[in-house]
Amino acid sequence: MAISYEAVRDLTANLYEWSLKKIPEDAKRALETAIEIESNETARKVLSMMRNSAQRAEESDRFVCSDSGVPVYFVKVGTRVQFSGDVKRAISDGFAHLVETIQPPLLKHVTNPLTNERGHAGKDMPIVSWDMLDGADYIDVTCAPKALGSGRWAELKIMSFPTLQEIEEYVLDVVIRTAAQQCPPVTIGVGIGGTFDHCAKLAKMATIRPLGSINPVPELAAMEERLMTAIAKLGYGPMGTGGDTTALAVHVDYASGHGFTPVAVSFNCWISRRTRARLYDDGHVERVE
Amino acid sequence: MPKTHHLTLPVDRDAIRALELGDLVFIDGEIVMTAGLPTHKRILEAMDGKRELPFPLDGAALFHLGSYSVDTPDGFEILYMNPTTSTRFNPVMPAIIRHFGLTLVCGKGGLDAASAEAMREVGCVYLSILGGGAALHSDAIRKVVDVGWTDLVSHYRMVKMQVEGLGPLTVEIDAHGHNGYDLRQQSARDRLPALLAEMNAARG
Repeated sequence: MAISYEAVRDLTANLYEWSLKKIPEDAKRALETAIEIESNETARKVLSMMRNSAQRAEESDRFVCSDSGVPVYFVKVGTRVQFSGDVKRAISDGFAHLVETIQPPLLKHVTNPLTNERGHAGKDMPIVSWDMLDGADYIDVTCAPKALGSGRWAELKIMSFPTLQEIEEYVLDVVIRTAAQQCPPVTIGVGIGGTFDHCAKLAKMATIRPLGSINPVPELAAMEERLMTAIAKLGYGPMGTGGDTTALAVHVDYASGHGFTPVAVSFNCWISRRTRARLYDDGHVERVE
Repeated sequence: MPKTHHLTLPVDRDAIRALELGDLVFIDGEIVMTAGLPTHKRILEAMDGKRELPFPLDGAALFHLGSYSVDTPDGFEILYMNPTTSTRFNPVMPAIIRHFGLTLVCGKGGLDAASAEAMREVGCVYLSILGGGAALHSDAIRKVVDVGWTDLVSHYRMVKMQVEGLGPLTVEIDAHGHNGYDLRQQSARDRLPALLAEMNAARG
């Protein structure tokens, strides 16, 4: 048995399309909870409209957001997997084929930063990160297309031996400087430690951690609670038009590092765009999110 | 309790000046939309007489919405539309609001104090529209009136269309200089010291 070029191409293209037309189940639950506990009447109306928008897109097979983002994949390769064809080419071809066939069509968001020309293809697109899964007989693929509205607010700062207080103050400072322009309620991902690149990855991955999941590190679970409580009291609310529901979650992860400690803050907007599936060595696909 | 208004465009200035922060608004009539900074630059060039506008913008309702337009034998069709962040256009909006005497600006994320001042001068309000609302907003499209600057990518084009029941949108900058975004930002900054103290206490 082996994973074919065609299987990777079709799965990665499908994951992209699914992510655009349906919000994850945990995001739906998080919105429902927010509607119940939000104290501001206008904010409850905005949250209900979000729920209705997601529902309408899903039942009519349309996009939730017109900004279909740039293609971003996280691929973890099981060590017991064999491939019968090219994998990187499969992902690029899958996206190119999706651009040709998807209905409705995608707007041109892939931008050459040197010229600001826009299209559907470009250097390093799709953006794919790779990892290994010891002992697994599948590849685990997450697709999280990144849009402008939430993508532009991420930030990273290198500190030196910071205290938890200094880290949390920085996170709040970033949140305040975004002034709620990233389509809240957002999921806030925070990375602490490692190196410049690793810390950014931690924050990014934290934004796509399932909503409602408990952080296994007690110090971080407590930090998440402190930040959630404080951010709710900032008063920005859904779409930044007032209320308690500015964040659906704060997710923090850390890595050991040196005495220079990067702290990264990343955001996912209320639609929590991501899909995930496992493609097994025998060819079958299991949807995870 | 926020009030709910149904506005039919074009709307007179008294109705605009009667809108208060937090009010909900549904829109019927003709709106103009674009999500492009290059488009806004072209509008500035037109104001300087260096370029022709595809259609007049006097008293217009300018929406920061991107749309997918396709040219069909029966004219342009809009497949979907959704807002972009208005603050990206902060540097150019005051001049555009004043020059054309815009009646409504709509998008997400708000505009700064200079735009709010221009809006106060001409009698214009800013409305917030849901981001991630493509399916709902697109259902309000009734007719594509005109699509200008078709050499640009779709969401940058300047599109004039008729909508019915677009909303609810919320009034976030009124025609009297009140800016809901600035008020909330000030309030968040004012609350910060107390919140940091609470966090320190919780950390122990």
